[in-house]
Amino acid sequence: MTLHTLNASPASAVFADCLGMLAAGDALLLLGDGVYAGMAGTGARAKLDACGAQLYVLRDDTAAAGLLERMDAITVIDFDGFVALSEQFPRQLAWY
Amino acid sequence: MTAARFAHAALARGHTITRVFFLDAGVANGGMSAVFPQDETDRLQPWVELAELHGVELILCIASALRYGMLDETEASRYDRAAASVHPAFTVSGLGQLVDAAATADRLLTFGG
Amino acid sequence: MASRKRLLLLIRHSPYGSSLARASLDVALAAAAFDQPVSLLFTGDGVLQLLPDQDSAALGVKNPGRLLASLPLYDIEQVYVDAEAAARYQIDLNAAPVPALALDRRAISALVEQHDHLLGF
Repeated sequence: MTLHTLNASPASAVFADCLGMLAAGDALLLLGDGVYAGMAGTGARAKLDACGAQLYVLRDDTAAAGLLERMDAITVIDFDGFVALSEQFPRQLAWY
Repeated sequence: MTAARFAHAALARGHTITRVFFLDAGVANGGMSAVFPQDETDRLQPWVELAELHGVELILCIASALRYGMLDETEASRYDRAAASVHPAFTVSGLGQLVDAAATADRLLTFGG
Repeated sequence: MASRKRLLLLIRHSPYGSSLARASLDVALAAAAFDQPVSLLFTGDGVLQLLPDQDSAALGVKNPGRLLASLPLYDIEQVYVDAEAAARYQIDLNAAPVPALALDRRAISALVEQHDHLLGF
């Protein structure tokens, strides 16, 4: 059980590397440019939905990108929620 | 900014933060002379508050810091540079500080990008 | 340092494209110096560090291959490589500067679970 944080655009190799490491039971928090991977209807989002990890986006970064209404079933969290995820998951891995 | 905001949120939830270790390009966070546009947030202040109000150690990796020209008083004098460039809330030290903190902490979080 | 936590370093960057590759190896050596158990996993473009015959003299930077070869001297013997990433670049692991055990996705997941902290570079 790992909390992954992705701060890189879905066009980057980092996105593909992160996707390859996501295991069932993991969580993925999208932040920074990572929020674009959560856009409903995109190929990147379809890949995330298929990977089996719980998906989250950071509110402020999502709002800055203009995407709060385009995240469909992804849970939007603030920094308090981010800390709560780090409590819940024993380890974290940052992708950037 | 994400890391500093996370740190403040963690403290607000009752956690203790031993240390923040800045590596590679991250050492620029400790710069004393950066000037931020008036309509943007000051990026240094949240770190300084962590150190001064909450006793969180802020450590810049010495190898990265020297490479990026981030020198505290000691290093500036050692390398004969005109002035320190690191804010006094930060300390320049070695990777042992990262390893030491990781050895005792329940959680180790990384922020990059 | 009485307390010990198992640290897994995920090395994701090519040797000369950034200073992160070097930083990751420095962290490994620091962990070993402080007697902390550390494992390395080369993944993504990080597998490019395992190419033999690296000669960075003309670039004026250190050759990570040499540092890698010295890892066993520091008692860092838990060195792993993402088999899929190594295959993508046709890395000959028999010729790599340091012996690295190739792991598939499932084995990598198990490896991650065996560690307390993860650091990705």
